[in-house]
Amino acid sequence: MPVKTSHSILAASSLGFAAVLALHATATPSRPVLASPPATAPTGTTPPSSSATRTATGATEQFGYGEVAVKVTVNGQQIVGVSIATLQTAESYSQSIAQQALPELTQEALSAQSANIQSVSGASYTSAGFAQSLQSALTQLGL
Amino acid sequence: MGMVTTQERKRPAGAQLRQRPSRPSPPPRPWVLQWAAGAVGLGFGATVALGITAESWSQFKSTGGVAIFFGSLTGLAGTYLALVMVLLVSRVPAVERVLGQDGLLRWHRTLAPWPISLLVAHAILLTIGYGQAARTGTMHEIGVLVNTFPDVLTATIGLAIMLTIGVVSIGAIRRRIPRERWWAMHLCMYLALALSFAHVIALGPSFVGHPLTQLVWTLLWLATAGLVLVYRIGLPIWRTLRHRLVVVDVRQEAPGVTTIVCQGRALDRLAVSGGQFFEWRFLTRGMWWQAHPFSLSARPRPPHLRLTVKAVGDFTTALANLKVGTRVAIEGPYGAFTSHVRDRKHSLLIAGGIGVTAVRSLLEDLPRGADPIVILRASSHEDLILSGEVAELVRQRRGKLHEFVGPRSQVGFDRLLAVVPDVRQRDVFVAGSDEFVHHVLRVLARLGVQKGSVHFEVYAL
Repeated sequence: MPVKTSHSILAASSLGFAAVLALHATATPSRPVLASPPATAPTGTTPPSSSATRTATGATEQFGYGEVAVKVTVNGQQIVGVSIATLQTAESYSQSIAQQALPELTQEALSAQSANIQSVSGASYTSAGFAQSLQSALTQLGL
Repeated sequence: MGMVTTQERKRPAGAQLRQRPSRPSPPPRPWVLQWAAGAVGLGFGATVALGITAESWSQFKSTGGVAIFFGSLTGLAGTYLALVMVLLVSRVPAVERVLGQDGLLRWHRTLAPWPISLLVAHAILLTIGYGQAARTGTMHEIGVLVNTFPDVLTATIGLAIMLTIGVVSIGAIRRRIPRERWWAMHLCMYLALALSFAHVIALGPSFVGHPLTQLVWTLLWLATAGLVLVYRIGLPIWRTLRHRLVVVDVRQEAPGVTTIVCQGRALDRLAVSGGQFFEWRFLTRGMWWQAHPFSLSARPRPPHLRLTVKAVGDFTTALANLKVGTRVAIEGPYGAFTSHVRDRKHSLLIAGGIGVTAVRSLLEDLPRGADPIVILRASSHEDLILSGEVAELVRQRRGKLHEFVGPRSQVGFDRLLAVVPDVRQRDVFVAGSDEFVHHVLRVLARLGVQKGSVHFEVYAL
């Protein structure tokens, strides 16, 4: 009897394992990727074009539980766009924290018009990484 | 008033009822165990797969990713096995009937090292992994994890409790601790599991942003907790209140052996087979808080129920002084050591010392003409308890009774084959101390008795 029982446990384990893997494979991997496709954007100063709109991606900053790179667009001296070029975390909890914090940080950067921003509470590592990458992008643009 | 009339009307029939034992327990259904084992296995496979799919390849490759991956996986697998441990002690009757309480506990003990070591590995791996990811030291990361991550502090306390109980449960240490104190400590395991629950949902890679897995996991734990509440607390209270057992007689059976007779209501409704036992709680000062397992030494004779106890410790010694009128709470019946498991025509019953109680009540369930052979083992004639009753039951069933009496060094089981030439054609029931049972099992194995025909109940002395 114990032999048979352990067999059915083993068989059922394999079944459960395979079922979840199959389910995972069929379901479209809907990993929420906040990062825009790795910007092929020029990392140096963009050549002055007809319009005054220029874009730069900041250095990829390690912020404790992952890394973040910020892409910034300026029109003259004004920051008109901030987005996330890269977001990579070691595990899901940090990912979800970062995903909650980054929109807030983006808004802050737009209203502060600089990398001098308040850190979002509960996401101090992410905030610091964001600010540093933003600053490096702004420096590239000579701001 | 209504109650009184009903009881009075029943009374004439009661005289006959008194002759008839109560209902036998429902027979074990082995397929229940197979399905339960299958469900548990299915869950384990699914849990491990969930842990693997939760991690993306890039996360795995990033700094600390390997340690974090295995840390999460060991945590998930360890927690699932902890859930199985709780299921094993919930004593769901349908499963208990197949495995018996000692079978469930054997599985519980066999499994025990796994969840604890996996969860310790989980804590260590994640601290290392997060330390690597954050580029701080592992030691520094302990503080960060406990202080800034949600519910990690409570989970850490939970793990500390779990580890303490785990260490205390190691055989050599456990034997030095009084049973009641060990039991009280063991109860803290439920607290430890409750403390660690929240961080799984809040932080587990398989759960963050996955409301469905969160829901399923939560329901799984609630259902398990429900089984424990229903079968370990609710059902015993209900049975206790229903049957209202009261001690009506306490008598010395032999030196150090006490028979306690309880009287109760509606005992013909209590389904119990010979060979089974209850966890008894005598509701008197100094005793009420501890429950001890004792076999019935006879099938219930409504309105009476009888147990026979050997004095081996403080508690069992104190039972000799139990006052008539003491109320009794019961949990059970438990045990798969019943006539249900017979699959051969004839039986051999072997009892060592106090093990005679289970054999004595089991004997009552064997049909007339069952031709049982009964062997009672004791070190002296004085210790040969209930042998008169056993002799009478054996005589009614046209069986044979053998008494192996004498010091252990002089009386072995060399004569077994001489006494039971057809031992391989019989179901063999063995009850007694751990040492006794295992000695007899070895003898039976040597004689070529099939494992499936041997049924035993170990008395923890």
